[in-house]
Amino acid sequence: MENSEIKINQPEKITKKDVRKAYFLWWLFTDTSNSYERLQAIGFCASMIPILKKLYKTKEDLSDALKRHLNFFNTEGIWGSPIHGITIAMEEQKANGADMPGEAITSIKTGLMGPMAGIGDTLDWGTIVPIITGIFLPLGAAGNPLGAIGVLIFIPISIVLGLFLHRKGYTVGREAVTQMLQGGQMQQLITGASVLGLFMMGAITAGFVNLEIALEVKQKVGDPISIQGILDSIAPGILPLALVFGIIMYFNRKEQNTLKVLIIIIAMCLLGSFVGLF
Amino acid sequence: MGDFSRAVIIGILYFVSNCCFGYTLTIFRRPLFLALPIGLLFGDVPTAMVIGASIQTIYIVLVAPGNQLPSDPAIAACIAIPLALSTGMSPQMAVTTAVPFGLFGAFLDQMRRSANSVFNRMADNYAEECNTRGIILTASLYPLLLTFVVQFTPVFLANYFGTSAIQGFLNVVPDWVMHGFEIAGGVLPAIGSAIAVTVIGKKALLPFFIAGFFLVAYSSISIMGAAIFGVIIAIVYIQCISQKNTSVKEA
Repeated sequence: MENSEIKINQPEKITKKDVRKAYFLWWLFTDTSNSYERLQAIGFCASMIPILKKLYKTKEDLSDALKRHLNFFNTEGIWGSPIHGITIAMEEQKANGADMPGEAITSIKTGLMGPMAGIGDTLDWGTIVPIITGIFLPLGAAGNPLGAIGVLIFIPISIVLGLFLHRKGYTVGREAVTQMLQGGQMQQLITGASVLGLFMMGAITAGFVNLEIALEVKQKVGDPISIQGILDSIAPGILPLALVFGIIMYFNRKEQNTLKVLIIIIAMCLLGSFVGLF
Repeated sequence: MGDFSRAVIIGILYFVSNCCFGYTLTIFRRPLFLALPIGLLFGDVPTAMVIGASIQTIYIVLVAPGNQLPSDPAIAACIAIPLALSTGMSPQMAVTTAVPFGLFGAFLDQMRRSANSVFNRMADNYAEECNTRGIILTASLYPLLLTFVVQFTPVFLANYFGTSAIQGFLNVVPDWVMHGFEIAGGVLPAIGSAIAVTVIGKKALLPFFIAGFFLVAYSSISIMGAAIFGVIIAIVYIQCISQKNTSVKEA
């Protein structure tokens, strides 16, 4: 042992146990703090804590890493867990001095979360759970309590499946990231990830952000003119898109005070609902 | 008026099944499962199971895209099964009673997730201070306490004072407030989206955000479909850039 040689700020090695710990933290708190504003952001960040504490030994680095993972995140808890594995692999490289900007990690997460949510919702909640429910429903309908106990089989199945996918994400991710670093393709990956991340964020925004004008202009003759109808004929979704860009501009010009924006939005929605605008 | 301790236990049962502690423990939400503990509480498991199963049939497939529950089967079960067991209502009648409560549960979830937005600010501050314990608490205990108030209260009230209590509450809260929160649920994700765009940054790449947005807005393509186009666009873009770089080097 060369204890005296170890630098204080050197990242520790990530063990299998750390990765497993990260998975179980994720499984426990996926949706506990789920909010409209950033969905599973806190759950994701909390799950990374055992990893980040080992990797980042200065207060500044750790704080940056924690903030990085408090970004908008939303996926399906089981099939989305490879993303966590890949994130751990990328953080590990970054902490060990690789040229890996934080934005690249965020981009990869953003690019993958939507598709994995699509796969997971379809397989877990759209297929496996309905099948299990279908199997045990007749028992329940006959008054048999085994019908209730039977559906619980989904819990161990999902935990084991998620654990496997999470670990796979880490091992495959680590290999891929190392290869790209050696092949000098990192810059390309970062650019590609940013393009994919922004593209997917746009796609997700179109699905998630909804705002429609309910107000109609009454005419003396004929049907009232729907303002939303006019907006839709220009381009669908321009109101939500304008809203997002409005907030981005506010963040860029002023400060990133999300609380202020949150309060303004809720007040605006209540007021708009009161006067019949929305 | 119902039994006090029974109403408390059912309120807690609803909280446990719906508080989202343990990702796949949300399987507890299924009326088919909830029927067992409620049946035990009323000393009539077989009848409870039959009613639970008939409520379950209307909620077989329950996908929550973006975790947005269209309707909440757990609150339907936690109100309709006890009601049916104590009044001797038929399973069909219980199902009819359950459906509107399912919608009320969806409203409760909107309240919970609007309120949860507050914890993001706390977590931001904890991250600034490197307080990892604080972040764990904002991921667990704090939202759970808030969720308990939001979820336990109405189910307890409905079971103790009868369903008219919930109806009374719904009459007191003006429609525009309920509608306003529904609207807010659609608008608040804009904040998270704006933060994500700011973080990924690179103004030159912003057109890709707009492209992704309008692809979905115009075609309502699934997120998987959008991802396929996204990957193709990203690959083509990288190739164009590296080609440009090599031709510059050659020249």
